[in-house]
Amino acid sequence: MVGGDKLKKIPKDEDLEHEVLRYEEKNVRELLTEMKDYSELIADLAYAAVVYGSQDLAKEVRHIESEMDKMMYLIRLKTMLGARNIEDAKQLSGLLQIASSAEKISDAAEDMVKLLRFEKEAKSLLPHIFDKADEKIKILRVADSSSMVNKKIGELGVESATGVRIIALRRRGYWIYGPNGDNHIRGGDLLVVSGNEEGYKILDDMALAKREWKELIR
Amino acid sequence: MKKIEEDLIDMKNISELMLDLAYSSVLFQNREIAEEVMELEDKINKLYENISDNIFKSCEKGGDIERGKVALRMADSIERFADAALDIADVVLRDIELHPVVKKSMKESDEIMVKKIIKKGSYLDGKTLEKTKMETKIGMKVIAVRRKDSWAYGPSKTLKLKANDVIFARGPEKSIEDIKAWTGENRT
Repeated sequence: MVGGDKLKKIPKDEDLEHEVLRYEEKNVRELLTEMKDYSELIADLAYAAVVYGSQDLAKEVRHIESEMDKMMYLIRLKTMLGARNIEDAKQLSGLLQIASSAEKISDAAEDMVKLLRFEKEAKSLLPHIFDKADEKIKILRVADSSSMVNKKIGELGVESATGVRIIALRRRGYWIYGPNGDNHIRGGDLLVVSGNEEGYKILDDMALAKREWKELIR
Repeated sequence: MKKIEEDLIDMKNISELMLDLAYSSVLFQNREIAEEVMELEDKINKLYENISDNIFKSCEKGGDIERGKVALRMADSIERFADAALDIADVVLRDIELHPVVKKSMKESDEIMVKKIIKKGSYLDGKTLEKTKMETKIGMKVIAVRRKDSWAYGPSKTLKLKANDVIFARGPEKSIEDIKAWTGENRT
């Protein structure tokens, strides 16, 4: 079994130690799943950061990128410990290639958000650049009277009901990035979403209480 | 600038399709899908060339250099997303036998990939993708369709699905039952 062994005493840096304590419990499978999920989220977050000129979203991109580095390091160590013979090593090299590709995506995303450093005039093309892309990045606000309020994202099944993914959520000055099914939607929440135009319109109508969520339940 | 913007949109669309295809080529150990990722990478490279040519031409004519830099760096990041997708597909192209853990972790992901055969007389049989509204109704996005020996990658909305087509789709786990129902897999 890969990744069964616990790794302690690796980092000296205190910051890193904190994170490793979180991840060291994870095995290779869980680390790879997380890296895949992050590779998909971080690209969307980076696009959202540049389109909306948001330093907060850019900061989160940088944070996830550093998490990816740590996960890459751990997955390397754990796969090395897991290889007992040449066959194992061959199989695990493919796994490492996938993990390092996911990590590369986060590097490219981190570079993308550096675009925010340019002068306003220079980056004037960014806000509307992807208006016509298949997957659009949009922001919507949840009205207090929306039927989504106080429901869990998973309970609503936002993605399965509209095809739109919530990539970040802003509430009273703080952010939740890549919210999961257990996170609640509250009145006044700002949602950063990715999806096609049609799904966005449905979700926006729900958020603005123009339509009832139960209409969507089949 | 207009042409540059259009090319950037194409790059974004293609790079996203490449990543979806790359992960599904791994999950289904499918060489044909992996090969398509490689072909799409050629398109990405051509678009990147076009964009950089157009930026330099516009700067030569007195266009704003800083704006040109922003567009070029955006293209550069997207090109790297595409590169990473190709690296993932490369594992399949090189016939590296994959550790079973890889498949398991792909299946536990937030976004899952499914491969389904459309049964005769099922809801999807005979409908265009546009008509099914699959993406907005069940959150599933069709990334490839195989009909006998031919493939449609990132299929257009007007593609009419037929019985025996094999569809590859991406979406939330919650929609697995829906896609089974729509393809007729649940019927006995």
